[in-house]
Amino acid sequence: MTTTAMTAGDLSAPARPRLTRWLLRLHRPALCVWTALVLAAAALLLLLHGPLTDAAAEGWRQYNHCAFNASCTYDQKAILRYKDWYNYATLTVCALPFLVAAWAGGALIGRELESGTARLAWAQSSTPVRWLTVRLAVPAVAVTVGAGLLAWLHQLAWSAGQGRIDTAPQWYVLFTFHANGPTIVALTLAGLAAGALAGLLLRRTLPALGLALLLTGAVCVTTQALLPHLWPTLGRTGPGYFYSPSRSWQVSGGEIADQYHVTYHPYSHYWPLQLTTTALVLAMTALLTLACFLVLRRLTGKAAPR
Amino acid sequence: MSATMLTGLPRTVLRLHRSALLAWTVFVAGMSGWLVWLTEVTAKNPEPQGLLCFDACGQPYVLLDFATEMQWACTLIGYCFVGIAAFAGGALTGRELESGTAQLAWTQGVSPVRWLAAKLALPAVALTVGGTVLVLVFRWASTAHRTQDWTTSATMFTDRGPLVVAYALCALAVGTLTGLLLRRALASLGAAAAVMLLLYTVLTSFRVHLWPTVTRTGPHAFDLPDNVWLVSEGSNAHGRFATYHPASHYWPLHLTETAIVLTVAALAVLASFRVLRHRLESRV
Repeated sequence: MTTTAMTAGDLSAPARPRLTRWLLRLHRPALCVWTALVLAAAALLLLLHGPLTDAAAEGWRQYNHCAFNASCTYDQKAILRYKDWYNYATLTVCALPFLVAAWAGGALIGRELESGTARLAWAQSSTPVRWLTVRLAVPAVAVTVGAGLLAWLHQLAWSAGQGRIDTAPQWYVLFTFHANGPTIVALTLAGLAAGALAGLLLRRTLPALGLALLLTGAVCVTTQALLPHLWPTLGRTGPGYFYSPSRSWQVSGGEIADQYHVTYHPYSHYWPLQLTTTALVLAMTALLTLACFLVLRRLTGKAAPR
Repeated sequence: MSATMLTGLPRTVLRLHRSALLAWTVFVAGMSGWLVWLTEVTAKNPEPQGLLCFDACGQPYVLLDFATEMQWACTLIGYCFVGIAAFAGGALTGRELESGTAQLAWTQGVSPVRWLAAKLALPAVALTVGGTVLVLVFRWASTAHRTQDWTTSATMFTDRGPLVVAYALCALAVGTLTGLLLRRALASLGAAAAVMLLLYTVLTSFRVHLWPTVTRTGPHAFDLPDNVWLVSEGSNAHGRFATYHPASHYWPLHLTETAIVLTVAALAVLASFRVLRHRLESRV
């Protein structure tokens, strides 16, 4: 009894880790590129957090000290350098969903289905459902770790400049908002699921890559359109024109019957907005993942064993 | 025989890449339509009339979403070369060499040199025509309602002249070269897009040095016109100084960068033919 159980265990046990190991072996270049990208962006964000912010803050201190004295000099180069590198870092972090989507649609799923490698794998020990599960789960771990690290470092770098650099972006500015928090992790996971869906739908490398980018773009546009409405805004009404409070995100403003009206999100809405947006994007990711498995079932026939 | 071949090869290239041609047509038509809509409908919206406009009373459209949408259109046109590089590296050459379709075509009476020439010439025509349309429509839209100037926006600098077409052609040539070098669709797609982004970033950061700046000095503080690109200002022992590009430097700067980008494109085309010939010689 024990020997047969052990033999059965020995036969079935190695199958599970092996699928993961193949996946890591096959996509070793992608893993290396991802690691290099995350490390380079992390190094840039640390630089931004330390010396670049300090130099720009010193430049702003000199500038404000000058007041309107025209013959006064200040370190303008440091201020411009900070602005440039901050933009590079933020755009790199915000490009992650699209990079992951292109890779997932092209290399992870589309190429395997085009070349027939996937069908070969299904004819071996692994079932299609397990094949897809491993292909989604392992990259999801790498994506969560990498994007999470970068979002945390970006938040640190951004906070370091607040109140010290007069031109540092506000919390609600499009790219800064997403690069600063968990929404970018959720968006990158959505990119992974969108890429997998595109690959399964088109089953050809380059068209799948294109569709993956379009789907991810659609997820981003939808998220951005819904974002201001995901938490109740505050409002103010009064005679005459006025702005919403400082550091608040003005959502709308206008004049109705001689009364000026603004609605806005104060800075205290930052985390509620981040978390509701993350939840919304994760819900879309879940729908995309569900669609992946439904398309896979249609592809392999209902008879495919689980 | 040769006459049918001449009509045959271009037709084959167009047929093979018809979805890419369709995507490019949709992009050009969509961007043009969007810009026309922004200029004729969004910017003429009477909504901001009642708002206090402060220093923007002469241009109430900047109070609307017009400025943001215009910036997005400007960015998409300015960076469309990344998609073109991806297409040229991935679909145009990389995929054909990876799957062996190219090698098959070379045995069917299409010489490799003519194959490459057709692959470069036909997309180049489509890119030149589409790029010219985009530049003309963008110039019309950005002149009708000014939101920002070329002195403050790097993409505005690119989009108002032939530099858009130059970057598109350079992306085509660089993508073709990476496809021939790497012979794998996805690797060359990524390499081509990365190389073009790098080239664009480097050229943008050196743009200010492409033409000599004007220096103005004076014993006291002075005001410069609004539409100049200020490079540096400060004071020394003799008084105040400022170096800048006046508005009239737009075309010298723009055409110098266009010439540099087209030179890179020509070198990439030359290298592509050399790589192809080297590959054929080493194969035989």
